[in-house]
Amino acid sequence: MARAAGRAGAVAALALLWLLVSAPGDAGCHPLTVADLFDRVIRHSGRIHSLSTALYAELEKHFPPRDNELGRPVRKCHTSGMLTPNGKEYAQKIPMQSMGIISNSLNGMASSEGTGLSMSNEANMMSDSDFIHCFRRDSNKVQSYLKILKCRIMPENSC
Amino acid sequence: MGWSWLWGLWLGKAELCGAGDQLNWGPGTQFWTPHCKKDTEVPEHDRRRVAELEHKSSEEWLREMGVFIPEKRPRGHLITLYNSLKGVQPDAPVNLSLETNTSANVSCLWAKWSPPPLADASFNSHVYHYELRLKPEEKEEWEIVSVGMQTHYKVTSLQAGVKYIVQVRCMLDLGEWSEWSSERTIQISKEQLPPEKPRIIKCRSPEKETFTCWWKPALDGGLLTNHTLLYSKEGEEKVYECPDYKTAGPNSCYFDKKHTSFWTIYNITVMATNEMGSNVSDPHYVDVTYIVQPDPPVNITLELKKSIKRKPYLVLTWSPPPLADVRSGWLTLEYELRLKPEEGEEWETIFVGQQTQYKMFSLNPGKRYIVQIHCKPDHHGLWSEWSPEMYIEIPADFRVKDMVVWIIVGVLSSLICLIMSWIMIMKGYRMMAFILPPVPGPKIKGIDTHLLETGKSEELLSALGCHGFPPTSDCEELLIEYLEVEDSEDQQLMPSHDTPSKNTKIVLKETDNDSGRGSCDSPSLLPVKCRESHSLPSTLQTQDVRAKEKKGGKGSWETQCMASEQKTLSCNNSEGMKSCTWLAAKLPSNQAAMFAYHSTVEAFKITLNTTNVNTSPVLVGNEENHQSLYPLAETVYDDMEKISEMEYSRTDQTTAQVRQNQHNDKSPFLNPKLMDYVEVHKVRQDEEPTLFLKHKENSGKTKKCTVPGTSKEYTKVSTVVDHHILVLLPDHGAQNTPVSQEPVAETSQNPQQSQAEKNTSYSTTAPSDSRRDTSGSDYMDPSSFMPSFK
Repeated sequence: MARAAGRAGAVAALALLWLLVSAPGDAGCHPLTVADLFDRVIRHSGRIHSLSTALYAELEKHFPPRDNELGRPVRKCHTSGMLTPNGKEYAQKIPMQSMGIISNSLNGMASSEGTGLSMSNEANMMSDSDFIHCFRRDSNKVQSYLKILKCRIMPENSC
Repeated sequence: MGWSWLWGLWLGKAELCGAGDQLNWGPGTQFWTPHCKKDTEVPEHDRRRVAELEHKSSEEWLREMGVFIPEKRPRGHLITLYNSLKGVQPDAPVNLSLETNTSANVSCLWAKWSPPPLADASFNSHVYHYELRLKPEEKEEWEIVSVGMQTHYKVTSLQAGVKYIVQVRCMLDLGEWSEWSSERTIQISKEQLPPEKPRIIKCRSPEKETFTCWWKPALDGGLLTNHTLLYSKEGEEKVYECPDYKTAGPNSCYFDKKHTSFWTIYNITVMATNEMGSNVSDPHYVDVTYIVQPDPPVNITLELKKSIKRKPYLVLTWSPPPLADVRSGWLTLEYELRLKPEEGEEWETIFVGQQTQYKMFSLNPGKRYIVQIHCKPDHHGLWSEWSPEMYIEIPADFRVKDMVVWIIVGVLSSLICLIMSWIMIMKGYRMMAFILPPVPGPKIKGIDTHLLETGKSEELLSALGCHGFPPTSDCEELLIEYLEVEDSEDQQLMPSHDTPSKNTKIVLKETDNDSGRGSCDSPSLLPVKCRESHSLPSTLQTQDVRAKEKKGGKGSWETQCMASEQKTLSCNNSEGMKSCTWLAAKLPSNQAAMFAYHSTVEAFKITLNTTNVNTSPVLVGNEENHQSLYPLAETVYDDMEKISEMEYSRTDQTTAQVRQNQHNDKSPFLNPKLMDYVEVHKVRQDEEPTLFLKHKENSGKTKKCTVPGTSKEYTKVSTVVDHHILVLLPDHGAQNTPVSQEPVAETSQNPQQSQAEKNTSYSTTAPSDSRRDTSGSDYMDPSSFMPSFK
């Protein structure tokens, strides 16, 4: 259940992100400005990340990790296949269109999940602790990307 | 001879020093001047002699001493002896050489030297004693080892890697130690070991773009140790070496932007290498996202602002550290500030959030505060260091205004207090009187309380107005007799408030079976203080003379004691109090005693009112239930010369001549001899029957509602039955009424009955109601309803 929630959260955030990026620029129907929208999204993603962190802390409390556990090579997230910027510069340089690629990938993953197929064996074979670890990381990624994206989209902010 | 002199001198010295003193060859000892510890006197000539000889050579000395040394005798022996006696200090040993020998983890030091060279080679056979000392180079303390007579020594307790300094000296027998030889140093080389494990202390990133790792170097045995940092990333196998060892200082590794990846776990290790080997630290896993510790905020500024309510507050603003890229959103910082008063101990920590400003309202003016700020990345990371201390001092100008106000208030209030106190002082008494009106004490006209206090009876009596006894004219009027007929003990005479007169008298009658006891002289009489009667009975409030009974023992007496100059007076005197004379009555314990209190005036008034006539009803005082009224009166008054004179107000001047006096000028109230009229007045339902004495003499005035024709009067009291029944006898003189007994009104319960009885017993005519009604008074002529005996 945690996995589903985590995936759903990440998917929702990224989907929203994609919507924002790809949607036409008119905001006539919506009283909200894009900045406000971004703020909301960022807040939501922040909440997701906080929840995942709390979950991870709980897990660590009950199952203290061994010293080597952090560097276990087995720990490989199922989303590691996605090319995501791993630094500020990369995040700033990445074209916005590529965001769509990311989201498409995620959508693909979501649809595969929706079909009920075992989405990726990798994810299934991961233990809960690993999954939570990956989820925590990914939610932090998403939030950071959103923040950078917000700054980039707003032309007035000299990011 | 010379020898002997020498020896003698030496011995003498010893003797001079005394037994037990240590004979030292002091430093710089010349020749034979042993130093005594005690400063004993050396003979002068000896000392001089010795001093001369000190500086001479041995041969000269010998010659001087007159020692004939034959040529044949070996002089060296003597010289040696001389030398030994002189305390020659040998030279230091030479050729000190050191060698280290390490075998099986034990390193030894071999020290070798040669004895000092001598001028006379012939003395090489002498035996030296050697001493060796060594110390580590850095230390101060020498370790001295006594070697003996060898010229070599082995030292084992040496530390590896420490530089030692070694020296040696020697000594002849009974001689001095030589100087220390020249120094030799040696160092034992350490055991060559591979280095120990280094340890990574921490890794930090100040702005989430680069990071640095620090490690603690391993201990090495003095050999040169080289450290290298190796890392690998998550998911990769390749191992990299630290790109930059220098930027962050010694024992550190700096990862620049190019080499920093986020959301990947680094596996970092440090390796220490020396000649003997290498050692690797434990791996340290790092995800840069979680090790961000920013710098403290900068540009902290304060601003004083005034709000609308004119209450000033402070606004504290700051900016994030310069390296942190907050603008682009890459790094989001949260701030926290703490402040405390300058002298305070505890910090108050306030979480601000992501804002870069803070408004402070709760600061006390005039106080100094210290404030500090630090920041942390949101979600993950570590708090930065606190910013440098910032001092806040709120201007206290508005405080001055408060002070001025308070000063004015204080001055005004003090002025007011002064004025008030002055007024109080000036008009204190009046104010006091106004505020606290004096409680009026009971006043009796004509009586000065002082007189009472002093207890002078004469003055009292005079004050009471009894200028003489019997009472004079004004007293005459009040000669009202009281005979109260009472049956109920509960009823009490109400105090007559309206009695203006102070001379309301209360007749106290107390009788017991023993007639004659009612006098004041009787020892049964208790002293009674004539005090104000607060419960002055006034039955008359109800327009009825009520017999009132005071519970025994608590009689309150009308102070109006008539002073009589008789035995009553004697009572007074005997009692020593102002007890009423004849008024004084005993307060028997039993409740039988009854005291008749009446306010004569009141009674009189009432009677007047009721009768509307100038009748002078005679109020008959109640008697106690012991005895018949008559005898009571008898007893009471027998002894009295005077009737209790009831003074009453002069207003009633009319027929209120209830005074008995009238018909008897000086007769007592109830002069038994004269008392032959008793008017029985109507017995009311709730009341005791009251008997009134009717005075014949005053018939002119005192006729009261006498129904003509029905002049049956029962005026004679024969007995008292059952303590509440008066047996009356009709008056023979007045009418020819048969002697009959007529129970007087019984209890108040059935007056009707009594009346009926009366009626019936005497076959009187039925009492005419009309008559009763027409009388309109409480007192009816009994004859009206009395049966006609005729």
